[in-house]
Amino acid sequence: MATTTLEPRAGTFSRSWVIDWLTTVDHKKIGILYIVNSFLFFFAAGILALFIRSELAVPGLQFLDQDTYNQAFTMHGTIMIFLFVVPVLAGFGNYIVPLQLGAPDMAFPRINALSFWFLPLGGLLIFSGYLFGGAAAEGWTGYAPLTDDTYAQGVGTDLWIIGLTLVGTASILGSINFIATIFKMRAPGMTLFRMPIFVWTILVTATLIMLATPVLTAGLIALFIDRNYGGSFFDPSVGGNPVLWQHIFWFFGHPEVYIVILPAMGVVSEILPVFSRKPLFGYKAFVFATIGIGLLSWTVWAHHMFTTGAVFLPFFSFMTALIAIPTGIKMFNWLATMWRGKLMFTTAMLFAVGFISMFLIGGISGVMLASPPIDFHVQDTYFVVAHLHYVFFGGSVFGVFAATYYWFPKMFGRKLNEPLGKVHFWLHFIGFNLAFFPMHQLGLSGMPRRISDYAANPEWTILNLVSTVGAFMIAVSVIPFLINVIATFINGEPAGDDPWEGNTLEWATTSPPPPYNFDRLPPIHSERPLFFLTHGHGHAAERPEDLEEEQVHDERPADVERREDPLV
Amino acid sequence: MLRIGLPLLLLGLLAGCMLPPEPVTETGREVFNLYLVVLALALVVFVGVEGFILYAIVRYRRKPGDDVLPEQHHGNNTIEIIWTAIPTVIVFILFGFSMFTLARVEARSDDPGVRIAVEGFQWQWIFRYEDGPTVTGSAAEPPVLAVPIGEPVRLELETLDVNHAFYVPQFLIKRDLINVPNDLLDNELEFTITEAGTYAGQCAEFCGTAHADMTFVVEAMDRAAYDEYIAAIAAGEDAPGGDTGDCGTTIELAAVESLLYDTDAIEAPAGEDFCIEFTNNDSVPHDVGIIETDYNGDDVAPGESITYVVPAMEAGDYTFYCTLHPQAMVGDLTVTE
Repeated sequence: MATTTLEPRAGTFSRSWVIDWLTTVDHKKIGILYIVNSFLFFFAAGILALFIRSELAVPGLQFLDQDTYNQAFTMHGTIMIFLFVVPVLAGFGNYIVPLQLGAPDMAFPRINALSFWFLPLGGLLIFSGYLFGGAAAEGWTGYAPLTDDTYAQGVGTDLWIIGLTLVGTASILGSINFIATIFKMRAPGMTLFRMPIFVWTILVTATLIMLATPVLTAGLIALFIDRNYGGSFFDPSVGGNPVLWQHIFWFFGHPEVYIVILPAMGVVSEILPVFSRKPLFGYKAFVFATIGIGLLSWTVWAHHMFTTGAVFLPFFSFMTALIAIPTGIKMFNWLATMWRGKLMFTTAMLFAVGFISMFLIGGISGVMLASPPIDFHVQDTYFVVAHLHYVFFGGSVFGVFAATYYWFPKMFGRKLNEPLGKVHFWLHFIGFNLAFFPMHQLGLSGMPRRISDYAANPEWTILNLVSTVGAFMIAVSVIPFLINVIATFINGEPAGDDPWEGNTLEWATTSPPPPYNFDRLPPIHSERPLFFLTHGHGHAAERPEDLEEEQVHDERPADVERREDPLV
Repeated sequence: MLRIGLPLLLLGLLAGCMLPPEPVTETGREVFNLYLVVLALALVVFVGVEGFILYAIVRYRRKPGDDVLPEQHHGNNTIEIIWTAIPTVIVFILFGFSMFTLARVEARSDDPGVRIAVEGFQWQWIFRYEDGPTVTGSAAEPPVLAVPIGEPVRLELETLDVNHAFYVPQFLIKRDLINVPNDLLDNELEFTITEAGTYAGQCAEFCGTAHADMTFVVEAMDRAAYDEYIAAIAAGEDAPGGDTGDCGTTIELAAVESLLYDTDAIEAPAGEDFCIEFTNNDSVPHDVGIIETDYNGDDVAPGESITYVVPAMEAGDYTFYCTLHPQAMVGDLTVTE
């Protein structure tokens, strides 16, 4: 019959799951691809970290030669930042943001797929240097003129440039997609100040990516021209300026730090209220603090260059110190959220509280580094290595694991095993502190970073050994995590739609959500639509502005219908 | 809750010994004192916040079966203004102290007691004393920077290739060496050492393969000893590089621009000592070594020459090379009867 032939093919035509995942434009599948891809690169870069720590366990060169060591820390830094932390958070953003907004998908699903597929390609290009005579070995910051063709002759550095350009392009496309989604795809009733805090942090992050990454891309292309076509942007022997590279790199690189930390702050700000059973204290202050950090991030890049003698120290020192203010506000907001709450220590909550307590240390050492005379002493030492790992690892990676335990039930319909999760957390937490806390002292006593061997004094030897033990403990902590994930897929506890009594819209649909996410949406009167659905509107009396708007909404149909399909 | 408390307590104790080395310069002492102020502020914040977190974890843990919602606090303007003020005050204190110390650290004397040009290259240092000798070294024998105590020492930092950084931990300061015209950046470092002693130093800016080998030693001594020391090196350097009277055969060899020897093949007689008269016309230091016999001649700074006396060798084919640039500078040495 004619009606049969007119039915959509999707219902009757079954594709292989491989083709399905390779060609998907569903934000949820792309989000999972992002996350899985990022974790694979995380493990690869983690193994490189173990090489580094093994070499540094005791004085002398034992396992690696100098060049191999330099390649290891360069690849470790590059991959961890560009192929793990940034994309894994983008992956959670991809999965969660449309759900939290009550949207059926991202604004541009095909661009979404494109920006994902650049990532494995770019990452493999960066790694492929190992197949062509050695990977890039100039540090993830790629300082000129060391990256010039005179000093870095291998093709590894060119592959590093090309790979990073692709990854950067992916980030730019993704960020535009996020911004369009957040501004144009919010469900009816979801005003900007009713958006979940995670969406806010993704919005600010995406803006930073959109404005900062092109700067790096331009610098990388200039460097590529210098290396291959006789350019003279950064090569001093033909009139270029190596300091220019540092300006370009850090003009991107410091916003990058906030690109990496803001979404993790957003994750924590979702999890703390749910497991404290209270709203986030000072929602608007938190939003303004996030925007404030985003704005300040453009004014602080040269604090990475205090020892060059080429920058105006008071300005950059002052602006850098100012960042402590919005960050401090956030810290107090988190503490006040826990204050007089009813705290439930799920693994997600443990990682969120771990984030606060560890990020605090990274924040404090950051303020210390903002003081130029102190920076003169500890710049380019292990103190900086400790600081950046307390921010990236103690901050962002704790946030990533918190997000994993928190949203895994939504993504796969099953809860990760809690006892195994706690084993994971404690190994991770203790290993992290053993690995990175001693580095503060190493740096203070003068051990430079990026050296393959160090002076055999007793203090440095013991501290390095402790750090290496900690690094292997972190590696071991991954085992219960992987077992947990596999065991949960085989025989995990079914999660139901809303296992945590969540506040936000992703918990209003099934786990995992169907294509296009929602059959219908609850009314949205605040940043916690689900909380108000469960517990009634009595609590809204504390916020008179909500009551007024509530009356407006009461004139609408109770169940807001889904908007038009944006894919057309 | 000991299980979070214990590691944090340990962290707190560890922080108690988080200090830089005992400073040995006047400005190093200033930085050390600034650091103490900052560390004290940091510890107050650390203990306060971590203490609060621990308290909340213990005090507000949800009891099993407790389904009553806690009071839903959305915010409180007064308290939020107060806690915006707290970090603001800390920031201003920190900034004020920092600028005060910075002015002292950056101060330059009109007439430093000693001026030394410090040149970094892949992967060693050259120290050129004003009106004095030039010194360099190797990974095995780090170069010595001799300086007098009690008077300002001015270093003029310059790189011959990539970026480096001059760093002596006990001075609590470092400064990058960047290849940029002098008027575009401040490439000088000045300090006054207060205590005689030997202080290890190292390149702190990653500079390629053998970055870790770029170590040096600062020997700080009183003025009389310093003058004597410099005179001794100057005398040693002026003496002939070897007893040329023993040279049966003298081979001339030169290094030329951008990491090359002027020839890639030399010949020498077997069974007797011979000499290599080596001139460095390149812009970075070079030397001559022989791979098969492990012979390794002294480094020669740009523009200098030396006469190496090479011990007798058996007939055969050998390879000579620059031990500082083994990949770029190699050649054949043929020893014949």
